[in-house]
Amino acid sequence: MSGIDIQLGYRRSGFDLCLDLTLPEHGVTAILGPSGSGKTTLLRLIAGLERPACGHLRVGDRTWVDRGQGIFLTPQQRRVGMVFQDYALFAHMTVEDNVGYGLPRRERRQGVAEWLERLHLAPLVQRYPHQLSGGQRQRVALARALAREPDVLLLDEPFSAVDSYLRQRLRAQLLAVVAAFERPVLLVTHDVDEARHVADRVAVIVDGRLHCSGDAAAVFDHPHDLESARVLGWRNLLPVQALAQQRVSGPWGSVELTTEPAPDTAWLGIRPEHIRLRGRDEPGLPARVVRVTELGGLRELQCRLPDGTPLYLHRPWNEPLPAPGSHVHAELPPQHLRPLVEGVPATAPGGRAVAGPGAGAHVDQAHPAVRLECS
Amino acid sequence: MTSAALDLGPVWLTFRLATLTVLILLCLGLPLAWWLAGTRSRMKIPVEALTALPLVLPPTVLGFYLLVLLGANGVAGRFWSALTGHPLAFSFAGLVVASCLYSLPFVVQPLQAAFEGMDRRAIEASWTLGASRTRTFLSVVIPQIRRGLVTAVVLGFAHTLGEFGVVLMVGGNIAGKTQVVSVAIYEHVELLDFVSAGRLSAGLLGFSFLVLVLVYGVNRHWHAELRA
Repeated sequence: MSGIDIQLGYRRSGFDLCLDLTLPEHGVTAILGPSGSGKTTLLRLIAGLERPACGHLRVGDRTWVDRGQGIFLTPQQRRVGMVFQDYALFAHMTVEDNVGYGLPRRERRQGVAEWLERLHLAPLVQRYPHQLSGGQRQRVALARALAREPDVLLLDEPFSAVDSYLRQRLRAQLLAVVAAFERPVLLVTHDVDEARHVADRVAVIVDGRLHCSGDAAAVFDHPHDLESARVLGWRNLLPVQALAQQRVSGPWGSVELTTEPAPDTAWLGIRPEHIRLRGRDEPGLPARVVRVTELGGLRELQCRLPDGTPLYLHRPWNEPLPAPGSHVHAELPPQHLRPLVEGVPATAPGGRAVAGPGAGAHVDQAHPAVRLECS
Repeated sequence: MTSAALDLGPVWLTFRLATLTVLILLCLGLPLAWWLAGTRSRMKIPVEALTALPLVLPPTVLGFYLLVLLGANGVAGRFWSALTGHPLAFSFAGLVVASCLYSLPFVVQPLQAAFEGMDRRAIEASWTLGASRTRTFLSVVIPQIRRGLVTAVVLGFAHTLGEFGVVLMVGGNIAGKTQVVSVAIYEHVELLDFVSAGRLSAGLLGFSFLVLVLVYGVNRHWHAELRA
């Protein structure tokens, strides 16, 4: 068993998906993107619930889809474990029957017992889904999907149906279960914190196109384009008007970078926690404090640059902060500034996207607008 | 003829007609309702309207067109007699065809509502768990639509029991062949045999009431089970 090789094109009235992505043998890959970007469609394509227009899908040494050769395995012929957004439990069946549904009759009793034990569902065997809490339902859905020993586990926004105060605990539980699962896991989410918490790797999809993928920490710290940066929670985005070697300027002022940015740089990004607050006589961009918001554990300072561009800073909760209305200087440390391009580059130096173990900690940012032979 | 001995012929005939009609309508109605519940086709509205027509048409109008269609010179009539050697109008087979059309909305509409209210993701979940389409239909779809299914069966059956105008137009009043309970009651009244008419009427009334009580009871039970 090796990883998953995805190269799929899909078309449905006004929506167009074109993805080229490789996933390693195991580990959690978070699929991040705004709603409507095609994240769920990707999962449905892998599960066989949608038919691609072109391309192929290989899982391990098996080909699930190859439009060129006319191969298309039905969902039943694939081994996928899918946890739907609302879990899609069978409302008329007990927990026991839900978990055992995908198992052959002779293995059912033992398989169910094992999975109920593993996910701490044993006391609930005879309950119906409507008698369970959100977290318990999620565990039943997970047990049902995993009991079949799938080749890939697909999780579609698994925490969206759960109260926010439970999410932290459920994430930890999910991680524990998934860590023992030695197959690829795809987690669709639009929650950056969730992806950070759970994923080893991250892929960003915007408008049906893969923008970047790779090691989670690397992707989060080194977005390559504006759309990815937005999705990855880079709240501070400054438009760029002129480049002069390492100096970058825009209507908001100008800053120095550590290296010369690419000529098509159109934006600068910096995370709120990396901006330093300075006095008015110190270096930095002049800014006016607009508002201070408590974020639990830290505080967010919303400022405005002279041209109106908003700037967000995160500071520890116990640090004294300037009052709203006061004037400060915001220092943007060059090592934390990311030059960003707009859109997916038309040509890429690295060829196709690889999110495999060999990719190490680097990000495969530049994805050529994947051209598949879709008619 | 004395009124003392009740002729059970029409009762048996009506029962056979209603059972057969419901069985045929389930075979037609399940796929039709499934399609209507899921389609975005432009044909949906005309098909829905066509299905509902028997609800609003006077039975005599429906009966008239059916008679033209099923009669010796009608398309269906000629086809049927070429196939079987028997005429379709004024026969039991003709009654079945007429009843199916007449009771169609009573079967299709509850089924369509049930399919529309169903969790379609559960079907996809079943597929990803390796269950065939047949197993999915039996273990996931049917349990989800069971209330609609019971309603469809009972309403289809009861409505066929109660039909009069269409049956009279298409089947006439031939004892043992096309004389159903409602027509028999009409004949008894015409012959001023109020005792026989009364017995048959009371039977039909009692039966219909019982059936409806049963449906509401079962539906309520299932509803409570889901909401418990």
